[in-house]
Amino acid sequence: MKKRTIVAAALCLYAALLAAVWHVGTFRARAMTEALLDYAVSDIRLTMDGAIDTMLEHVAVTCIRRFGRADRYAREEVDTVAHLFDIDELCIVDRAGIVIASNDPDSLGVDMNRKEVTRPFAALTNGTTKVVAQPFRRHAYSKSRRKYLGVPFPDGDGYVQVGLDEARMPKMINAQLAFLFDVEMGETVCYLCADMNTGALVSSLSVDGETSTLDEIGFDASRAPDSDETFEQTLFGDKAFCRSYVFGGHRFIMVVPKAEFYGTRDVLMVVMTILLALVLGAFVVLLVRISNDAKRIKAFYAAEDAARAKDMEIAKTIQTSALPAPLAANPCFRLAASMTPAREVGGDFYDFFMLDPTHLAFLVADVSGKGITAALYMMTAKTVIKDALLETRDIAAAFTEANKELCRNNSANMFLTVWGGVLDLETGGVAFVNAGHNPPVKIGERVEWLADKSGPVLAFMDGVKYKSRLTHLVPGDTLFLYTDGVTEAMDGKHELFGEERLATTLSAVTSSSPDTVCGVVRVAVAAFAAGAPAADDLTVLAVKYVRRSDRFVRSFPPTQEGVCQASAYLDECLKEQPPDVQASLHVILDEIASNIVKHSGASGFEVDVEFTEDPAGVRLVFADDGVPYDPLAHTDPDTKLPAAERPIGGLGIMMVKKMADSISYERARNRNFLTVFKMAERVKGRSIS
Amino acid sequence: MTIDKKLENGTWMFAVAGRLDTNTAPELEAELKLDGAKEVVFDFGGLEYISSAGLRVLMTAHKAMAAAGGGVKVLRPNAMVRGVFEITGLSSVFVVEP
Repeated sequence: MKKRTIVAAALCLYAALLAAVWHVGTFRARAMTEALLDYAVSDIRLTMDGAIDTMLEHVAVTCIRRFGRADRYAREEVDTVAHLFDIDELCIVDRAGIVIASNDPDSLGVDMNRKEVTRPFAALTNGTTKVVAQPFRRHAYSKSRRKYLGVPFPDGDGYVQVGLDEARMPKMINAQLAFLFDVEMGETVCYLCADMNTGALVSSLSVDGETSTLDEIGFDASRAPDSDETFEQTLFGDKAFCRSYVFGGHRFIMVVPKAEFYGTRDVLMVVMTILLALVLGAFVVLLVRISNDAKRIKAFYAAEDAARAKDMEIAKTIQTSALPAPLAANPCFRLAASMTPAREVGGDFYDFFMLDPTHLAFLVADVSGKGITAALYMMTAKTVIKDALLETRDIAAAFTEANKELCRNNSANMFLTVWGGVLDLETGGVAFVNAGHNPPVKIGERVEWLADKSGPVLAFMDGVKYKSRLTHLVPGDTLFLYTDGVTEAMDGKHELFGEERLATTLSAVTSSSPDTVCGVVRVAVAAFAAGAPAADDLTVLAVKYVRRSDRFVRSFPPTQEGVCQASAYLDECLKEQPPDVQASLHVILDEIASNIVKHSGASGFEVDVEFTEDPAGVRLVFADDGVPYDPLAHTDPDTKLPAAERPIGGLGIMMVKKMADSISYERARNRNFLTVFKMAERVKGRSIS
Repeated sequence: MTIDKKLENGTWMFAVAGRLDTNTAPELEAELKLDGAKEVVFDFGGLEYISSAGLRVLMTAHKAMAAAGGGVKVLRPNAMVRGVFEITGLSSVFVVEP
């Protein structure tokens, strides 16, 4: 989330909340004002009504006492009493409800029970009702509204009804006002009372005892409804809510100053403004901080991911670039290998190389850990093992050496499992060492695991002495090496591919080429995993022993005796060859071997005799560890010179060059390799042991 | 290698059979006591092959004979040996028959 968005959202929320508080505060204040005004109106109404009722009842009771019983009294008498008590109407009603005496001639003889409006008074004759009062209402014979109240004579023998015109109320009210305002004034509500005709204020509260009028205090009568409706006025310069109650020629006004009443809301608003600002401010700060943190964390992880991806890319490059290139085609064996890196590169690798023309070294390994560390360690391990093998030419000694070396350079505490073997192409023997690795499968007539273990994992424990085991392959047998990427491949249900499935898979390809064997296993594992991401590298290597080697390698001492032995060895190898081929090859051997013995300072030399098919012929390879010497780099001696001037040296090499069909020199692994090829008919079916 | 030598009318006759290479050349060289001879004849009818070590012996003999006004003659070389002489240009130095 962006900072700007957060701040904007918070401001909106702030405004909305304040508006809500304002509205709730206003609504509440209005509701309370209304309630207060309602109360005030009913209060004044009850007070006034009660006061008049009390007065009229007092008058009526006095009349009852005065008259003693319901009778036909003369009009003068009734007039006198009415005048005395200052009431507008006085009637004496008999038990039957007939007005039998009255100061009002219109009322005399009226049947009270006949009219709906007067019928309630009949209750006074039942002996239990003490008083019946009616509110002011329009009266048939009077311009003013009139109020009636009746009190019975003893024993329900008729009753006295007194009536009072509203127009006569001011007097009454004046008598009541002092009491009303003294006792009933609230704190916030004030009452005003004014004469309807003159507008003169009769209440003395707000004007310091001096009589003034409604106009003077700012009251606008045109905007003052008589009904129970709240209205606004500006009184004494302040806005106020008002309710008016018109009664007895007077207007009673209940006033609630706006400022006073909205005070609560305004205080609430101030408090909420500050409080909400604080809360929302804190909230915004928190959100911004979280948002910043989230951004930082996201950026951090993005960088981390990119770095990891790059690491993986590098690791993959290292891992795949370290794998050996295919060997030159060899009729004695076929080899296929592949390594499929997992998403997170592991440390699998394989290696294969010729130790000499008749010995093939091959191995499969799995370095602990993943990623670039594993890849780098794998590089080291591969080099160390290969160097050790080339140095010692013995698989067990090589493992022992390599372990020593790897333990020495192992600050990362890595280790690796390795299965390595050396196949003797002449015999089919495989000397192997298993350093904690999955045993390989020998595919011959049966499919079987080479379960022998011969030592702990490499780079784990210094000073381990590995011992080699031996197995034999007959032509047609295949050794299948793999890493746990094969057997521990998982399907969607977390089931492992396992050794049984591997055995079944391999059973179907017992006579196939190594390429097919590796391919079939890869396909089977991929089909099994069915899209589940590979957790580990998948490495397979298959080597098939095709036929016994036609190469024969021997080592000889760097002496004339060595040359003699080499010659004898060549005889043995060539005995089936035609004499001219034999003679040529012997001359070649003699020239080169004697050269090595005389000039190279080598500790010995090897002669490798190989019969080739296409083109048919014999290939001689001379190897020595002497000083680098490329005989082909020298110019041939001039054979046209007179015999006495000829240098003898160089003649031999020239002869070799002329006699051979092809010749090449290579300096590798601190050794000189001179390969000489002589065409010849291949003699079938020969064997040498 | 076998060496059969005899002196006839101031000419040394060496019948060499087998192989003449670094291994055997010293033997032949040791037999080359050529005092008083003007010509050396090598009968290579029984020789399988000759390497440069053998040629060196022949060259040594040739130098000695040339000093005495004589030379070296090679008789009945096989195809391979004849080839070596041709390759090395020695066929023009020695008399090779047939």
